[in-house]
Amino acid sequence: MFERFAEVYIPTEGTSLKPLSDVPYLDNIDRVLAFLDAPTLDEVHTGMKLFDYGSVVVGLHFARFANLDPDDRLEYIRAWDDGGETQRAIVVLIKKLIAVGYWQDVEAARRVGYHGPVSDEAKILSLGNAPMPIAMVEGSETP
Amino acid sequence: MTEPSPNTAPSLPVLTVQQPADMPERGLKLEADAVVIGSGAGGAVAAYELRQAGAKVVVLEAGPYVKSEQFTERLVESFQTLYEEGGNQTNKSGDLVVLQGACIGGSTVINAAVCFRAPDKVLEAWGENNGLDNLSPEAMAPYFERVEKNLHIHPNGAHEINLNGRMIRDGAKKAGIPAGPCSRNIKHCALTGHCIAGCKTDRKQSMLVTYLPWASELGATILSGTRAESFEVSNGRVTQVNAVATDANGRSKPIEVKAGLVVVAAGAVQTPLLFQKNAIGNSSGLIGHNFACHPSTAMIGEHKDDVYGWLGATITTYAGNIEDPKEGSYLLEAGFLGPMSITTASDGGVGREYTDFIQNSKKFLASVTLIHDHNVGRVYMENGRKRIDYDLDDRDFPSLQEAFRGAAKIYFAAGAERVFLPTTRRTVIESPDQIDSVINSLENGKHRYKLTSYHPQGTMRMGRDPKKSVVGPNGLMHDLDNVYVVDASLFPTTLLVNPQETVYAMASYLSDGMLARG
Repeated sequence: MFERFAEVYIPTEGTSLKPLSDVPYLDNIDRVLAFLDAPTLDEVHTGMKLFDYGSVVVGLHFARFANLDPDDRLEYIRAWDDGGETQRAIVVLIKKLIAVGYWQDVEAARRVGYHGPVSDEAKILSLGNAPMPIAMVEGSETP
Repeated sequence: MTEPSPNTAPSLPVLTVQQPADMPERGLKLEADAVVIGSGAGGAVAAYELRQAGAKVVVLEAGPYVKSEQFTERLVESFQTLYEEGGNQTNKSGDLVVLQGACIGGSTVINAAVCFRAPDKVLEAWGENNGLDNLSPEAMAPYFERVEKNLHIHPNGAHEINLNGRMIRDGAKKAGIPAGPCSRNIKHCALTGHCIAGCKTDRKQSMLVTYLPWASELGATILSGTRAESFEVSNGRVTQVNAVATDANGRSKPIEVKAGLVVVAAGAVQTPLLFQKNAIGNSSGLIGHNFACHPSTAMIGEHKDDVYGWLGATITTYAGNIEDPKEGSYLLEAGFLGPMSITTASDGGVGREYTDFIQNSKKFLASVTLIHDHNVGRVYMENGRKRIDYDLDDRDFPSLQEAFRGAAKIYFAAGAERVFLPTTRRTVIESPDQIDSVINSLENGKHRYKLTSYHPQGTMRMGRDPKKSVVGPNGLMHDLDNVYVVDASLFPTTLLVNPQETVYAMASYLSDGMLARG
C-alpha cells in the first residue's frame, strides 16, 4: 500500500528528484514505526487498513487502493484530504511517513539544494564544554 | 572575533555521567543533600547552583547520555536518539506533535537556541492574578542577567542573519509589524543550521556543555538512563526517590536516593505524571491540568529568486508584538529546515503538484508561528498510556488566523509570489488581495492544521493560593515540605516567547530560595 501511495504522491520520473526506487523509504518507515508503542502501532495499522480497503466504498472503486490505477489513486487520496476527521488523520499520517522515509535520504535532499550534514565534511572544530563561569572561578559570586 | 581553539583553551570542565551499563547489577543506593530529577534547563541550573553552594547533589535523567560528537546532523536519527518517544509524542487526537528532548541536557540540546526574557507584562499579570509578585520584572532582572552572561545569550549579529531572516525582518517592517533579531545562547555559531539535531560542534550553550559539566566538575553525581518512579514519603516530606536505570539490553537496575531536598524538573509532561503516579502533592486536584504549549506552525512563502533559507542559523529574526502578549497575540520566528520538515509542516499537494512545490524549496521563505494559547489541556495516564489531552481551543483559533495573516502580509511585502498555509489540505494564497478571504474562510478542527509544540507548559501551576495552584511562589509544592519544581510546568500562563531563558532564570532564582531556606 505504501509503495502504491508513494508512486503517485512523489512521482519522481521526469523531475530532478532522486528516483523513488533508489531510496530505501520503506525500510526508513519501518524504523520510524519501531519507535511507536504497541497500542499506537495497532492504531496505525488499523488506519492503514481502513485507507487501503476504504476504496471499495469511497469513490465506489470496488477495489483496494493498492490495486487502483494511478489516476484513481490520486483521486482517492484527494477525496481523503477533503474527508472527515478520521480520513484526514490517516492520509496525513501516510504522507508524513512517506516524506520522512524519502527525505531522510541525504542524496535525495541534496537534489533540491539542501546541504544535509556538514560539520564532519567541513571539519568544523568543536568548542568543547564551556569554561566555568568567571565569577564562580574567582569565588566572588555567592548565591 | 577570534575563535578560541580547544587545544589552547584553559582546562575545560569535564562532564562525567554514570550510565546504566556502568552501574552494578544490584543497582545503587545513594545519599545526597539534594536529588534533582531531570537534567534540562531547570534541573541543570538547580544542580549547579546547589552544588556550587556546597550541597551534595545527585541528578537523575531518564534519557540517555549522547555526546555531541555522536550527533549526526540527520534529523530522523536525532529524533530517535535525543527526543521523547523518538519524536513521535503527540496529543491524544494525534494532530499536534509535542517535541521534547529526552537525553542528558533535555530540550536544551535539541532546541533552536532562541532566548527571550519573559515579557514584563506576563510577569506583572502573574503577580496580579496568581499572587506571584516575587517574580516581578525588577526581581527577576538579576537572574536573567546572570543566565544571559553564563550562557552567552546575545542578539544575532548581522553575520548570523541569513537572507530568509533579513527578508522576513524587512517585510515585517514594510507591513508595520514589529521585528528584530532573535537572541540565542550560542558562542561562535558555525551556522550549520542543525540546531534541532543537536549542536555537533558545541557552539550552542546547552546544558550539555555548560551547567551540567560545571556541576559535574564540582562533584555532582549525574546518572543517565535513570527514570524516577516512586517516592518514599514521611510526615509531608519525600525522604527517598526510587528510580530504575535501564541499560541498552533492557536490564533494569534499582536506584535509591535518600535526600533532604527533592527538585523536580522533568518537564511539563513528565513532572505531573510522576506525582499523579505516586498520588501525592495534589490536594488542589490541579496536577496535570492547565497544559498549554504555544501550538506552532510553519508558514511558507515562495519567492521568485533563490533564498536558500536553510543556509545559516536555524532561527534568525522575529516579528510580532512580544511586549504585550494578549488575546490574538502571535510571534513569528524566521527559520528553516530541509525538505522533510517543509513537507511534514506544509501540504504541497500530491503528484506533480507536490513535486513542483518541493523542487522550488530553495526559493521558500519560512517562519515558525507561535501563539499565546490558553491553558486548556491536561496530562494524565489512561490504561497505562500517557495522554496529552489538548486541542486548539476556539478562543485561540483567531490567534492562529492572525499569525497566518501576519506572515502572509510579511511574505508578500518581502516579494513572495504565493503563500502556502500550514493546513492538512493544500491551501495557497496567490496574491495579497486574497489574504483576508482565504484566512477568514478557515475553520478550527482536528487534523485541519499541521501543528507542533516545542514549549509544553503549565501542568504544575505556580501560585499563592493552594486551592488554585500546585506550587507556591518559592517553587515549593504546597503539599510537600521539601519538594521543589523548577521547570516550565510552573508557568501559570504561557509566555508567547520561547521559554528556555525564563526557565533558566527561574531555576536560578528558586535555587537561591532553597539555599536561603537551608
